[in-house]
Amino acid sequence: MIEVQAVSIVYRSGDEAVPAVDGVSFRVGEGEMVAVVGPSGCGKSSLLLAIDGLLRPTSGRVLIAGEEVQGVRRDVALILQDAGLLPWKTVRQNAELTLHIQKRRESADGILSALGLRGFEGRFPAELSEGMRRRVGIARALALRPRVLLMDEPMANLDSITRERIQNLILDLWWEMRFTGILVTHDIEEAVFLGQRIVVLSPRPARVREILENPGTGTPDYRGSPEFLAQAKALRRILEGNR
Amino acid sequence: MKQVLAYSLAGLLVFGAWALASLSLAWAKGRPILPYPWEAAVAAGENIGALLSAFGTSALRFLVALAVSFLLGLPLGLAAGFERKLDQFLSPLIYLLYPMPPVALLLFLYLAFGLGEVVRLVVVVMALFFQVVVAAHGAAKFISPTHIVAVRSAGASRWQLYWHVVIPATLPNVLTAARVSVGLGITMLYIAETKLGILLPPHQALGRFIEHYPLRGDIALAGVVALALLGLLFYVVLEVLERQLCRWKYVGVKGGS
Repeated sequence: MIEVQAVSIVYRSGDEAVPAVDGVSFRVGEGEMVAVVGPSGCGKSSLLLAIDGLLRPTSGRVLIAGEEVQGVRRDVALILQDAGLLPWKTVRQNAELTLHIQKRRESADGILSALGLRGFEGRFPAELSEGMRRRVGIARALALRPRVLLMDEPMANLDSITRERIQNLILDLWWEMRFTGILVTHDIEEAVFLGQRIVVLSPRPARVREILENPGTGTPDYRGSPEFLAQAKALRRILEGNR
Repeated sequence: MKQVLAYSLAGLLVFGAWALASLSLAWAKGRPILPYPWEAAVAAGENIGALLSAFGTSALRFLVALAVSFLLGLPLGLAAGFERKLDQFLSPLIYLLYPMPPVALLLFLYLAFGLGEVVRLVVVVMALFFQVVVAAHGAAKFISPTHIVAVRSAGASRWQLYWHVVIPATLPNVLTAARVSVGLGITMLYIAETKLGILLPPHQALGRFIEHYPLRGDIALAGVVALALLGLLFYVVLEVLERQLCRWKYVGVKGGS
């Protein structure tokens, strides 16, 4: 479904060339959920923006459903770090933002009530708890019924109970909607809990260190099981080996 | 309601201080210098027709100047602040012209535009326009990148980016700046209506009304009070506008109940 082929991203800062991503390749099968982990600031987010079509790779290319990504695609949705809600729009306006911009007539009602946000449609983000804000961000992406869901640290800066709730929510939604997912995170447990495969990146510039198979994922019970802990340990070892 | 009370109280205080100033000036100089508030009030009552008509015309003039300043200044300021390439070119230009006082150019403005309604609007617009441009420019430079990515990843066009992010994100700052500039604007209005308003009858401009009776301080002061009230009116209108258009700024952080 998604093929990342030797993608490199180099930023220009004045006369200097700053490489952020260096020759990263991996594939994500239809309906698969892949976690991309790496240390903070390693270039994961740049990679995700390139997959979303917001950033043109300096070299290499990204294919989705066999077509090269040239710009924003309607069947791809992005969940941003800290939800990226617009503070001047209500919950409903935020959830329907992308639908509205793409001039689509669907509503976000279904997904808002599925995410427990019914009754809050008229509120502004400042009136919500952090967990609810994240759910609005998820609703905005899923209101599109996307084939591909890209997630940029959707659980960052959340308290651990809320984080686990949102992780379970994403798992549920994945079972229900069968999207193809890429989850970018720097959280080891999160990657092991959600990723059927885990792409481990090196510190900046990001290169693929290893791709870890993680077949046990898929149920909330996986968290805390001996297999889960062993995987987390293995992943930690790979990540620490980078330093 | 509380605000009405506060304003009434402030009004009383100003009148009290004014009466006190009149009294002490009269005592110090041995003759009346500053007419008392009640004298101005009587003068206002005697000339109420001309005063109200002057107030209305000046208010309309100020409103038009404010609207034109927004219409011209907002797009320019936002684009200059948001489009980096435009910024490099426009910023030096804006900041070079910004401190230039239009008052210093009155002669040339008069030569260029004559003494009609246009020149008066030009003077006020020149002052307010730069206030709007500078505020919009500053606000547009500090738009959160996440908000931009959120809209761009939806496939937004440039126009949609402005509509959904740039304009609403900068509106509170721009309206606040406009509110703060009302004082400057009223000063410019007065200058435009006196220096460039000598052909106007007193009932068509507050500035003219104030200057029309050189020997009647009480009438002039009634005009000054009207001018102050005009400023207050626009200040309040802009504040109400901000509260309506930027409602999201004023919702309390109540947590998720």
